[in-house]
Amino acid sequence: MNFLWYAARGAGVVSLILLSAVLVLGIVTSVRWSSAALPRFVTAQLHRNLALLSLAFLGIHIVTAVVDPYTSLGWLTVVIPFSSDYRQLWLGLGVVSVDLALAVVVTSLLRDRVGYRVWRTVHWLAYGAWPFAVLHGLGTGTDAFAPWMLVIQGLCVAAVVAAVWWRMSVGHAGQQVSASSTLAAQQLDTDAR
Amino acid sequence: MTLTSTRPDPSATHTGTAFARRASASQTSTRLLAGPPAVAGAESLFDHRARLGPLPGRVATQLIPVLERSGLLGRGGAGFPVGRKWRSVAERSEGRAVVLVNGAEGEPLSRKDRNLMAFRPHLVIDGAVLAAAAVGADAIVLYVGAEHASARAALTRAVAERTRELAVPIQLVAAPVGYVSGEESAAVHFVNAGDPRPTNVPPRPHERGVHGRPTLVQNVESLAHAALIARHGDAWYRQAGLGDTPGTALLTVAGAVTQPGVREIQIGTPLGEVAAGAGATREGTRGILLGGYFGGWAGVDEAWNLPLDPAVMRPRGFAFGCGVVSFLSPAECGVMATGRILDFMARSSAGQCGPCVFGLRAIADATHRLATGTPDPDDLARLERWSGEIAERGACRHPDGAVGFLRSGLRVFGDDFVRHQARRGCEARARTGTN
Repeated sequence: MNFLWYAARGAGVVSLILLSAVLVLGIVTSVRWSSAALPRFVTAQLHRNLALLSLAFLGIHIVTAVVDPYTSLGWLTVVIPFSSDYRQLWLGLGVVSVDLALAVVVTSLLRDRVGYRVWRTVHWLAYGAWPFAVLHGLGTGTDAFAPWMLVIQGLCVAAVVAAVWWRMSVGHAGQQVSASSTLAAQQLDTDAR
Repeated sequence: MTLTSTRPDPSATHTGTAFARRASASQTSTRLLAGPPAVAGAESLFDHRARLGPLPGRVATQLIPVLERSGLLGRGGAGFPVGRKWRSVAERSEGRAVVLVNGAEGEPLSRKDRNLMAFRPHLVIDGAVLAAAAVGADAIVLYVGAEHASARAALTRAVAERTRELAVPIQLVAAPVGYVSGEESAAVHFVNAGDPRPTNVPPRPHERGVHGRPTLVQNVESLAHAALIARHGDAWYRQAGLGDTPGTALLTVAGAVTQPGVREIQIGTPLGEVAAGAGATREGTRGILLGGYFGGWAGVDEAWNLPLDPAVMRPRGFAFGCGVVSFLSPAECGVMATGRILDFMARSSAGQCGPCVFGLRAIADATHRLATGTPDPDDLARLERWSGEIAERGACRHPDGAVGFLRSGLRVFGDDFVRHQARRGCEARARTGTN
């Protein structure tokens, strides 16, 4: 009976978790961090695959919300921010987030065409997409203040904040000698002896 | 032979037809059912507020005198004045009363409560929130029939939409399936102890109800009306109504009609007008069940011009009850239809009181023997005697309702009962040519 409602809520929660993971992995990739267990090609591939997976859940989230007669949303309101009468602000934040995420995904898929600099510039939008998504969930999520959802939101925010803070303290990838290259340098060192 | 004549066809879209017709009705007769049609599903909080505006917060504390002036009567069946009921709870509440929203709707023919909950959940919740503020309650219980899946789904979602703004917590409780579980002391008993059997009264729920606190038990339609009165005032409410009792009411029209379903009428609308709107004809009607199983039969001639207004119906021995109007086809036997409903009433006994358990069973069996052409020699005489002996002997009024219904059957289908007792066959069968 309320199937669409449950689906939209569930897919929304999963999308938030996935988006947070994608963002954290993206940050990790951007500083070229790696370890023996997680070499760089793994984090980069995981970042890409989870991004596409989150897109699928976002799709479910949006389609079920629009198809649900209860919300009476039109298809245009899904792409044009703040165009819906229904929960204009909170829904609009979600739409902004989706639009930004779409720009990131499209430029990534067309990276060869648009070139590295455009891709990289657009990719910065990911930092914008995520907080809009969090606010959207807090503002209009049915379960936003349920204890379990507060835990999930808290963990997502903590993970992203920690990753951003770590990145800022580490600095740009270009300036930084990554863990693996330090290791390589040590190895060279031992070889030299 | 059909035993299900007055039972509405479950496949018929009770909801669809009635709600869809709303557009053609005038403003004074369409209030609860105003707004988008049933196909739109449950109305969201956003749409509800866009259509009706927000609940006026200030009004809640002054609402009781407004309700008293409005003349709104309860719609669960008993027709008790709503304002007076709220006042009696408010006088005892000390801020810790409970509002029990009664959406059990165990009446087999009635559909109006479940439809109202399914399509206008926020109107019902508005009424509950207002009631809680007006009587001084700190808890709201939505007591909704377990079998009313759409209603419960709509209310679940509607409550979720409002959780952030609710001053009083709302709990949704599934009322067990059963005719008696909607009786107010049974509802309180179930919420308290998981036992849906009526309890001895007094104390009445408004004195000691849920968790021993003063409890307002109010039908969902009554609350929905209160939510509109809070917005528009008592004078507005009284603009509708064709006779002594003001306002509009939901009816469930069932039986031998082409368009069964829930519709809203101005109170005092003649039965014949409702019949015409639903596609029933005088010739195509053997009798009319008014007020549901707790009401009784009315003959076609006495009822066709009868205003559907409790103030007119009660003195004449008819019941407005929960707003059921069911037409019995001439192809069906009045004795049979009466026996079937009496059997249901006997089976629905909560099993607590002797006169109800044994009395209703004996009545149902005797009527069944008469209906099927195998009566004991004195069955009809016994029915007439029993019909006066059982009332007011139970904890609740279930047996009273059943014998009241029996009396109406004996009166309206008296000739048929005599014919069946004498084994002279049945008019319905003779007419239709079936054995």
